[in-house]
Amino acid sequence: MVMPRGTAIVVVLVLAGLLLVPVLGSNYLVDLSTEILIYMLFALSLNVLIGYSGNVSFGHAAYFAIGGYTCAILLTTYEWPLLLAFPAAVLLSGLAAAFVGYFCVKLTDIYFAMLTLAFAMFVWAVAFKWRDMTGGDDGFVGVTVPALIDGRVPYFYFTLVVVSISIALLWVICHSAFGRTLVAVRENRTRAGFVGVNTRAMRHVAFVVAGTFAGIAGALLAMYNHGMYVESAFWTESAQVLIMTLLGGMYSFFGPAMGAALLYLLNVFTIQYTEYWPTVQGVILLIILLFVPEGVVGLGQKIRQQLAKAD
Amino acid sequence: MKRFVTSFAAAGLTLAAGYGAASADEIKIGVLYPTSGGGAIYGGPAMQGHDLAVEEINAAGGANGVKVVTVARDSKLNPAAAAAAAKELITKEGVNVLIGGLASSVGLAISEVARQEKVIYIATIPKSIKITREKLHPYVFRTASNTDFEGDALAQMVKRVDGKKICDVQLDYAYGHDLADGFIKALPSHAPDAEVVLTLRPKLGATDFNAYVTQIMGSGCDTVVSGLWGNHFVNLAKQGAPFGLFNQVTYISGGEIASHEIAGKMGADYPDNVVSNTYELWYHSPTEAHKKFQARLAKKAGTEETAMWPMLAYNGVMFYRAAVEKAGGTDAEKVIEALRGLTIETPVGPLTINAEDHQANTGQFWGPMKKQAGRKYRMMDPVTYIPPPGE
Repeated sequence: MVMPRGTAIVVVLVLAGLLLVPVLGSNYLVDLSTEILIYMLFALSLNVLIGYSGNVSFGHAAYFAIGGYTCAILLTTYEWPLLLAFPAAVLLSGLAAAFVGYFCVKLTDIYFAMLTLAFAMFVWAVAFKWRDMTGGDDGFVGVTVPALIDGRVPYFYFTLVVVSISIALLWVICHSAFGRTLVAVRENRTRAGFVGVNTRAMRHVAFVVAGTFAGIAGALLAMYNHGMYVESAFWTESAQVLIMTLLGGMYSFFGPAMGAALLYLLNVFTIQYTEYWPTVQGVILLIILLFVPEGVVGLGQKIRQQLAKAD
Repeated sequence: MKRFVTSFAAAGLTLAAGYGAASADEIKIGVLYPTSGGGAIYGGPAMQGHDLAVEEINAAGGANGVKVVTVARDSKLNPAAAAAAAKELITKEGVNVLIGGLASSVGLAISEVARQEKVIYIATIPKSIKITREKLHPYVFRTASNTDFEGDALAQMVKRVDGKKICDVQLDYAYGHDLADGFIKALPSHAPDAEVVLTLRPKLGATDFNAYVTQIMGSGCDTVVSGLWGNHFVNLAKQGAPFGLFNQVTYISGGEIASHEIAGKMGADYPDNVVSNTYELWYHSPTEAHKKFQARLAKKAGTEETAMWPMLAYNGVMFYRAAVEKAGGTDAEKVIEALRGLTIETPVGPLTINAEDHQANTGQFWGPMKKQAGRKYRMMDPVTYIPPPGE
């Protein structure tokens, strides 16, 4: 479970680079980095389910939204301190994932995907209809963020710390015996079952891990925006994080993080330069998915192989 | 893993290249309307009105002598996306003010960014009462009407048509609930002997209203009070007409279904006995300024029968211009002081922003929709201007 040296060096470099972002003096860069970090964690959490256990979820936004709303409501309505509200939000996302996962892992493939979607839309409907608690489609606006981290740069560092720790934990989980067993389940569920692996339980745990870390990302977003909105629970949000994961490459640990950064930047830049951004974005994604189905990481590997051949 | 670094470096470089600071020789307006997807039919016309205002200001030598430029972003009808875009407008583009918004949730989200970043936001279309009540802060202003004003006008209309038994039909989301609250609050003072006999809450985005039609007709109400806007109304009208719904009840509606966008689109399908509202009518000029405004807009839009939305966007920009000129610059605190209690001449007459709740006294035109000789569509006749309550 040792990180390859090359990877470790890059991780340290990226971290060091991120630590220096606020020094550049651009508020915009700080905001953008915070947003990207949150979506990176969101995409990485989904990859535990997709890349490692081989279950495609169409409803991952549910846990993102539960984490976000819970943190927002506990901080604001019930005036809990952050040290309680944040873990409670993460815990509730995990519990919700445990509950939903119990039913979903009984199914596989497309049936699994459809059931995750159904539960996610249920979460969306609750957020939409429970106006007294969530603000309905007006959104939960005006989240109380503790003074210590209520500021552009402090919040960026807070996000950086939380996301780094979360990613480190995810890395350990994915590269542990548990993670390797998940890969075995992904590759051949029947055979894994024959060697004595309880495949359903393994997939259930993967579901809970994915949901829990999505909850962390959601809670971070709610505090960052000082608000949580029902659109974050909608299927389009689930679809976006799915695209991020596929774009980066789901068979690599860091792939989805790169996919998240790439899609988010694509989003931000196309909207700035053209009002026809959906067309431009659609074409770019189409090209990537048609010609590089393994994602950005897959493309890198392909190029390396070609270069090796040329030598 | 090298590619990890490369992609980050590339992203960083692109960002650095794209980073620009606000300059002092121009006033930057960050504008947010939905220009893609389902909201584009409102956002597109709103942008026309916005551009018209900016062109006029610059043709007249700018605001306070400074050129005005627009930086537009698609609000995507999504509050989180609109909030991210609003932040980018402030931190990267360095805009002096945010103007726009359509859905209530988007308006509230932009307002929250304005509060954090201490940048003025003028809400031109969102009507949710929350923006200027529970969530009011120094940096947010609204030049649109609100759900309390509209609900009060609905109650006045009930009195005018002498409605006794009311069917309260509103969409099941923020605007519908807020409008219903405003109406129920105002009903006793305008029509004390009217009572609500049926409450229905169709879903936002619903297309099948047959079940509601039969319930309304079976309830024995003589008046329907509603706020079903856009295609919700179009579908209800088409499905209700064969049952004779509009012969049995008078249909009083907010949601601007008297605007020409709807009347022109529905043509002969527009039902009888509809009393509704609009912010502006291309064929009704309460002021000379309206005639000129409408002529310029018609030229820009390429049609004589112009939409209602452009004027809302137009007025928002004009309020900001007047405030900048009064304040002698774009300093946010001074412009806030200038906006509070500010009166400007708009195409529909003088409007004033209340110093207390930052809400403009934007009334609306109300009236029955009648067939007109030689026209393929209905027009409001007679047109009555209903100011906000207390005016």
